[in-house]
Amino acid sequence: MTRRRVFTVAVQGLGGLAGAAIVLPAVGFAVAPIFEREDDRWEPIGPPDDFTAEAYKAAVITIVDGIGEAGKTTVYVRKGSEELGEDPDGYIAISTRCAHLGCPVRFVEAAGNFICPCHGGVYDFEGKVIGGPPVRPLDRFQTRVRGGKVEIGPRYSVTSQLEPVRSRDPGEFTGGIWEYLYPPRPSTPSPP
Amino acid sequence: MPKLQLPAALRRPAKPGSNGQVDGKAPEDLRETPAARPEPKVTDQAVEAGKDVVGWVDQRTGLSGFLTGMLYRKVPKGTNWFYTLGSATLFAFVVQAITGVFLAMYYTPSPTQAYGSVTHLTNDVFLGEFVRGMHKWGASVMIILLFLHMGRTFFFGAYKYPRELNWVIGVVLLILTFVMGLTGYLLPFDQRSFWATVVANNITATGPVVGPYLADFLRAGAEFGPTTLTRFYAIHMLLVPGAIIALIGAHLYLVVKLGTTAPPWLKAQRPGSTRPVEAVVAGANGASPNGDRSRT
Amino acid sequence: MNAADKQRYLEEYELQKKKGKPFFPYAVLKDSVMALLVVLVIIFMSLMLGAEQGPKADPTSTTYVPRPEWYFFFLFELLRVLKPPELVPLATIGIPTICMVLLLLLPFYDRNPERRPERRPIATTAGILIIIAMAYLTFLGAEAGSPTEIEMTVAKEYDQGKEVVASSGCLACHKIGENGNDGPGPELTHIAERIPRAAIIRSLNVGPGIMPSYAGLSEKKLNAAADFLASLD
Repeated sequence: MTRRRVFTVAVQGLGGLAGAAIVLPAVGFAVAPIFEREDDRWEPIGPPDDFTAEAYKAAVITIVDGIGEAGKTTVYVRKGSEELGEDPDGYIAISTRCAHLGCPVRFVEAAGNFICPCHGGVYDFEGKVIGGPPVRPLDRFQTRVRGGKVEIGPRYSVTSQLEPVRSRDPGEFTGGIWEYLYPPRPSTPSPP
Repeated sequence: MPKLQLPAALRRPAKPGSNGQVDGKAPEDLRETPAARPEPKVTDQAVEAGKDVVGWVDQRTGLSGFLTGMLYRKVPKGTNWFYTLGSATLFAFVVQAITGVFLAMYYTPSPTQAYGSVTHLTNDVFLGEFVRGMHKWGASVMIILLFLHMGRTFFFGAYKYPRELNWVIGVVLLILTFVMGLTGYLLPFDQRSFWATVVANNITATGPVVGPYLADFLRAGAEFGPTTLTRFYAIHMLLVPGAIIALIGAHLYLVVKLGTTAPPWLKAQRPGSTRPVEAVVAGANGASPNGDRSRT
Repeated sequence: MNAADKQRYLEEYELQKKKGKPFFPYAVLKDSVMALLVVLVIIFMSLMLGAEQGPKADPTSTTYVPRPEWYFFFLFELLRVLKPPELVPLATIGIPTICMVLLLLLPFYDRNPERRPERRPIATTAGILIIIAMAYLTFLGAEAGSPTEIEMTVAKEYDQGKEVVASSGCLACHKIGENGNDGPGPELTHIAERIPRAAIIRSLNVGPGIMPSYAGLSEKKLNAAADFLASLD
């Protein structure tokens, strides 16, 4: 244990501490948004009479506050259909975000399908994939009726059997082993 | 034609063993007899003062050795126009950096105000659309030049020993240039920018296990939010240009130190010999010209 | 490359340098001319092509057709042609990452000391093939049309039918001319050669296989669409 050795180790230790003191807060600062979760937002879009079970109606909701136009998105809403095994008093709100890579899908009345203009994805009336590269059915939004108005809540994703899971980014498979390969993030709300 | 009056510090250094003579002549300021030195004119005095400034700086920094070494180094015989692609890429980057700085003086990186600030810049600011156009088309020009430079390096075999590290740095620079394209593309915040960025972000999310977190990190949250644009702006303005400048410095250092390659179809010749070096060297070693593969 | 090859290269390089010229002013002159050219090209492009702003970003749109910048078209085309969902992560992450790693590690697996292109057949062929592939993919990506447009000149009476077919999502599963997807439905560019008009109307009404039924279309639109499709021979 020479003087030199003590000083060398001390320099390395203190230097490491100083470096960590600068870098760790900076990294934490950059990485924090991954762990922050916003409060659930519920937005009214209209009285129940506006919606039917046979066709979708487009509605615009705000999903992120404070950034004006850039925080809005379009949602296709309809009443639950008994033929498809859904609750007739409930509502189905389908996201326009394609499950392949996030391009905006549009509902084509004539075919009863959703089509995506980017890479040719096609979904059926329920949002299940019937053609093209999308990896899972279209995401949905939670719905409820409050004060005589239909309200749209947070987004959730579905498996290919339309079971709800936590919201995933487009391109991520859902269900089974995929729940571990594409883990849910802390920044997303729990599914219904 | 007036003689080129370079300051002493920047003049080409004399060859060793020539007693300070450059091109067979003794240096002017070292002549022995005062009579040989002409009476100084005003213009000459101004030139002398200029030379003195360079000399002053050189005495205090010692830069002349580095500068003359870099400027007067030999490049191999046969260096042709293909070799200008690298410096052309660097120049395109410099154009991007300068136009980028001026654009940054007018741009507001907020999702509500970005589009408006770009409209103001394009329509109201003097030469605004021109500078913005230079930046936009300069990006495409830089990428094309970069690919041409990479192709030239590949086909000339200039990535082989001893220049492997230079190639690795170059590929990292290529990736960083694509990142610049991606992040800068969002900043005008029009339809094309927005959706291209959404798709690019979701592409990141498809990577297994870490993909979703990486996408969240880039987007600053689960959805495109208030800080996404500012994050992209910081990456485009500060993080990646800093990395690019540092790596370009390393890239250029290696180019100067290792030298540029000669075109591969030229063979060197020993002075006084008509046979290419390959045959001479191989003959001396007693091995076949292209090396004995079985010896590896 | 063993030690002897390396030594041989270094010796040869020294000789080549000795016969060369100083960087300043010979090479610097060429660099300066090229730099001037680059600046002039950028200025010329900026003046001629300008910098128009597109419409403001609108996440609520359902009609916009997103496209990336031109230097990403080759990746975009790759994503378009790889249809099966299982291959999506391969196209988005797998292939680009593998290509980047191969590019990065090139000097470490290419050990051949030979530098002349004509004596490095594998390297030269691979390089040329990759350049052609990327150029072709970029070209295809640029040509890729939106699934709601049929770029085809037709006789005036079939214009309405063409619009109905284009806006009803048919191109999402069928290829008509240059537009649309290669699957899952068959190509319709010459459909009239294969089946008569009555069969076309039947397909539209019934929706064979996984094809949805278009019986919901009004009589007029159905006939217009059938007219257009029956003219494709």
